[in-house]
Amino acid sequence: MKARKVKGLAENGDFAANARRIIEVRLGELCALAPKALDESRPKKLHDMRIAAKRLRYVLEIARPALGAGASDGARAAKKLQEILGDIHDCDEMLPRVEEHARRLRAADVDALTARAGARARDLDPTLASTAPNLDRHRGLEALAAHVTARRRVLFARFEREWARLEERDFPATLLESINEPVPAPQAPQAGAAA
Amino acid sequence: MAKARPVPGLSPDTRFAAAAAAAVRVRAAEVFGFADRALDIADIEGVHDMRVATRRLRAALEVFAPCFPSAEHAEALGEVKRLADVLGQRRDPDVAIEALESFEAGLALPDRPGVAGLVAELREQQDAANETVAAELARVRERRLPERLQGLADTARGEAAA
Repeated sequence: MKARKVKGLAENGDFAANARRIIEVRLGELCALAPKALDESRPKKLHDMRIAAKRLRYVLEIARPALGAGASDGARAAKKLQEILGDIHDCDEMLPRVEEHARRLRAADVDALTARAGARARDLDPTLASTAPNLDRHRGLEALAAHVTARRRVLFARFEREWARLEERDFPATLLESINEPVPAPQAPQAGAAA
Repeated sequence: MAKARPVPGLSPDTRFAAAAAAAVRVRAAEVFGFADRALDIADIEGVHDMRVATRRLRAALEVFAPCFPSAEHAEALGEVKRLADVLGQRRDPDVAIEALESFEAGLALPDRPGVAGLVAELREQQDAANETVAAELARVRERRLPERLQGLADTARGEAAA
């Protein structure tokens, strides 16, 4: 997913004003993706939302010195969201990997058993099944696939709760408001203070 | 995961181009500071830290894009993205192996061979990806990417001062 171009950045403008413009656009991207990502049948949108959360997080981290605590809080929220979505993404990557591995093992077993039966066999002797070359190598894979599928479900429910929590506290408006608050100037060290 | 190094001298009033120069300089140095640990398969945090550092550098290059000469900026950003992709190819099997080994440890011994077989397959991918990372690190050094990024940072500062 390509990031939207941020218009109106002024090279000679101040850091804070430009950072706010970028954050506004990145936050908009994240929020626009949420309704689609919350549809469990659209993993691609979930992946896009993870990327959008990552982009928002990093721009908030960069802007922290200019925008203060509001940017820090926003970066933490975006990071949490990114991590949950990242864990879901790991499940989406793992399950096809497990299934493909099992499929290859099975295909090799089928070839081996067919060869053992011989070209003119009328049927396959059931005792040959125990001679399949990958007999042991299937063990645990079904349990793994079930675990990954269930983990994804658990994580998706966590994502739904997390997004509902962010909406409840009106995350987008709160973030935009907080990054517009004046940042206190760094305090100069007091005379005589310990180094 | 390593924490981002602070970028000194940034404040709300810092001019955008000066912030660009400072951020790119620190983030670029951070990336290449992890290069020595990135190839260690026994410590998977090295490649992870370097990958996260490339993400931070990419973010800085993207945020501050208007401050840099577009051709040099596009070229540097492209190379950083390429490096990040290669590090990602190593990170993917690292993460999968870690998750599978943790899962495998919870299984009874007779149920482990399937997962162990998958881990062995992933170890081969990890080795191959590590060779790709080594080649990419050699390539970026040869192309003097660290120096070019520092040069790019200087350009932004020069424009701001102009």
